[in-house]
Order: sequence, then structure tokens, then C-alpha cells
Amino acid sequence: MSAPMLRGALSNRIRALRFANGEMSQGDLGQRIGVTRQTIAAIEAGKYSPSLEAAFRIAHVFGVSLGEVFQWDATGG
Amino acid sequence: MPFREKIAWLSLVALGVAYIPYFVVVASGAYDHAPAPNFPLLTLLAGVSILRLAILGGGWLVLRARAPEDARMKPDERDVAISRRAMASGYYVLTAAMILVGGIMPFTEGVWRIVNAAIFTLVVAEAVVHAVTAVGYRRQA
Repeated sequence: MSAPMLRGALSNRIRALRFANGEMSQGDLGQRIGVTRQTIAAIEAGKYSPSLEAAFRIAHVFGVSLGEVFQWDATGG
Repeated sequence: MPFREKIAWLSLVALGVAYIPYFVVVASGAYDHAPAPNFPLLTLLAGVSILRLAILGGGWLVLRARAPEDARMKPDERDVAISRRAMASGYYVLTAAMILVGGIMPFTEGVWRIVNAAIFTLVVAEAVVHAVTAVGYRRQA
């Protein structure tokens, strides 16, 4: 019998990090990591989970670790 | 609204405006038994296809003028993911409908009904692609 799949939800602190970094706009962040402003908005709202590469790029732009940008809530979902 | 979502809605509108009247006329059976080449039917099809291209081209120009930067942006990973899902949905619709049109209708229907069913299949599959694209952007907006 296989173990049940873990349930949870991904959250992020992109909005807070943008404001902590000179009120960087979604468009500016998008331009720096190679996605559209709408994609940044979707990621912030938790409606789109970015690729690992895009996630690392976002963390790199803010100069923080991946875990400081994205959090996994195992009780959610 | 993302530029590509607007294009998806525009494509849906263009398909509807052009091909709904066409299939209403075709469904009346007026062209079913015309000998080949069925010029009136082909003329009608050419007309609606030109109308569709005109709506698409004009709409695209207007949308690009309103958001030139969005229009210039290359598709990003979210655009590609939405597009891939939409194309997969359209492919399944096209495959199922083509089995019906190519595998069953030749035994029961006339030539022009089969031709129009094939065109209908293409239009429906394309409509599914654009609809899934638009819904994809709505759900991930």
C-alpha cells in the first residue's frame, strides 16, 4: 500500500520583498527574471507556481534564499 | 489582461462571427447535393475565411497599439504552459472528431456533408484551443 500524497499549499513573500527592495514594480521584477508582469501577479497571488529556475531567479534578484521567498505549508491545500 | 489572453478572446470572437453564420447556412442543406466543384459553397467558405482573417488582423493591430510592450514580450513559461495545455485539449477534440468524420461519415453521408463536417471539426478544435487558453489565463490571473 503506497503512502498518501502530501497535501499542502505554496505561499510566497514576493510582494513584501518587492516593497522592501525600493518598491520594485511587478513589471521590473518580471523583466529581470524574464516573465511578464501578469505572471509575477499570478505568482504573488498563488495562482501560478513558477518553475524552479524562475523561483531561483526571483530569490537571486532579492538576494535571499529560496526559502525566504517561497514557503510550503503542509497543512494547507 | 495579458496580451495573449486578449488574442485568445479575439480569436474566439473571429471564429464565432465568421463560422457560426457559415454553418447555419450549411446546416440548412442548401449545398449538400451540388456537383463538384461546389463554387457557391467554396465562395461562401472563402468569404467567411477572409472575414475571420480581417477581424483577427484588425483586432491584433488595435490590441498591439494599445499595449505595444506586452505585444513585444516573448511568451514566458506561464504562457507556454497555458498554450501547451490548450493545444493538448484541441488535439484530443480534433482526433475524436476526425475519427467520426473520416471513419464513420463516409459510410452514411454525402461528400459535401463530410467536407463541412471536417471544416466544423477544425473550427471546433481551434475554438477549444482558444477557449482553454482564455480560461487558463483567467484561472491563473
